[in-house]
Amino acid sequence: MMEFAQWLENTGFSTWVRESPSIFAFPVVLLIHTIGMGLCVGISAGINFRILGFAPGLRLSPMARMFPILWLGFWMNAITGTILVMQDAANKLFNYDFYLKMIFIALALVVLRMIRNRVFLDPQVDKVPLSRNVKNLAILSLLFWVGAITCGRLLAYVSPAVGGVH
Amino acid sequence: METLNLAHAHLLLNHLPTIGFGIALCIYFAGFFGRSDSLKKVGLVMFFLVAVMAIPTYLTGSAAERALCPELKCPAEVVPQILREHEDLALFSFVLMEITGFFSWLALWQLRKSSKIAAWNWALVTLLSLASFGVVALAASEGGGIRHPELRDAAEAALPHIEDAESTGIARSIGAVVAGNTGVGWLWPASETIHFIGLCMLFLVVLTVDLRLLGMAKGLSFKALYQLLPLGMLGFTLNLITGILFFLAAPGQYVNNVEFHRKIVLVVLAGFNVLYFMLVDETWAVGPDDDAPLRTKIAAASAIFLWIGILYYGHMLPFLGNAF
Repeated sequence: MMEFAQWLENTGFSTWVRESPSIFAFPVVLLIHTIGMGLCVGISAGINFRILGFAPGLRLSPMARMFPILWLGFWMNAITGTILVMQDAANKLFNYDFYLKMIFIALALVVLRMIRNRVFLDPQVDKVPLSRNVKNLAILSLLFWVGAITCGRLLAYVSPAVGGVH
Repeated sequence: METLNLAHAHLLLNHLPTIGFGIALCIYFAGFFGRSDSLKKVGLVMFFLVAVMAIPTYLTGSAAERALCPELKCPAEVVPQILREHEDLALFSFVLMEITGFFSWLALWQLRKSSKIAAWNWALVTLLSLASFGVVALAASEGGGIRHPELRDAAEAALPHIEDAESTGIARSIGAVVAGNTGVGWLWPASETIHFIGLCMLFLVVLTVDLRLLGMAKGLSFKALYQLLPLGMLGFTLNLITGILFFLAAPGQYVNNVEFHRKIVLVVLAGFNVLYFMLVDETWAVGPDDDAPLRTKIAAASAIFLWIGILYYGHMLPFLGNAF
């Protein structure tokens, strides 16, 4: 595992991302990761808040059109996230915080899919009130995204060896 | 010829909170006693705008201090204790003005939605605006005393001369706690996390509202989307609070960082941008399946551009500027 992580970290591409002084290396990769977060979590949170009763005048069915933006953000982050792990694999792959983040994202995606099936694929959407069940899913979705953001942000501060703040 | 620096900007901007707030208060109360809703509305808009302009006013203060007292050594005629007193009053009035701005904005938002403002919010804006004006006037008078010995009172004139500007003060103490100097290590990372959550809330509103106005998900009316706006303002509030905490903790990272200056300019422009959506009737008239008018589309596209720009400059602080 450690050999693999070190190999990953020392590939030409990883080294370039980590060490190049160009802003198109590490800074832009991280920038895209942050913008992707805004797109993915932003749109998802908008749908969740609407389900929870904010902006009740907002019809849900047209909001389905926003899903491609959400997925654009998600894939921007899947790609840049992979690069960010590669260039620091010996740290990130041995950090519990990183796996916690992955679990939060996986759970958020599962819940997102359940919300899509129960709300956006339902022909009765906007005609009947939303069930308690769907509202609970929206709360879970918000919690999972907050969890993912928190773990992600803390990756900059928590090191694997001590598990504490530098 | 002398070139302009941020100390000039502070000397220019610092008149806005006192004078702007004074004029806004007069108009607001004239609206109250004259029972004119439009005057009250103008007062609310001005409270909001002054709150927006108070952001660069407050932030340029640190640059002015550094210009006056380089390397924390103040010239003989400057009393560092007065500087600290001014900074603390400025921070206190800044907080009050931002809260006034928030509730004035909320009042404008309510006014558009139901053509009347909740009684509690009238009371709140009235109280807050009076309190803000009082404290900002004190901050301004203390600020005047920094360079004008003739404005100092007897107690200030008797202060012992110390060279070091970095003495105590509320703002400095808060900064030290956030920076972790008192052993609290988690406050900075926690603020960073909240800053990112606020960012997502802002993006939630900016993307949903502005992408709709640009033609995506046309089934949504602007009137319905308008209900989302307070979530965005809440996100901005989280980011303003945590942002000011970063600034207090490590002013040196921001004061002379050009990326940060650009970020704040864009934040001010974004403040003007949101007013467009609050006040302009042609945007309000965009119903389900309507195509938004060109001017609205331009405002919507600028909003997305501005917020991505703010994110960009914030993100690039450690990479392009001289910080961190």
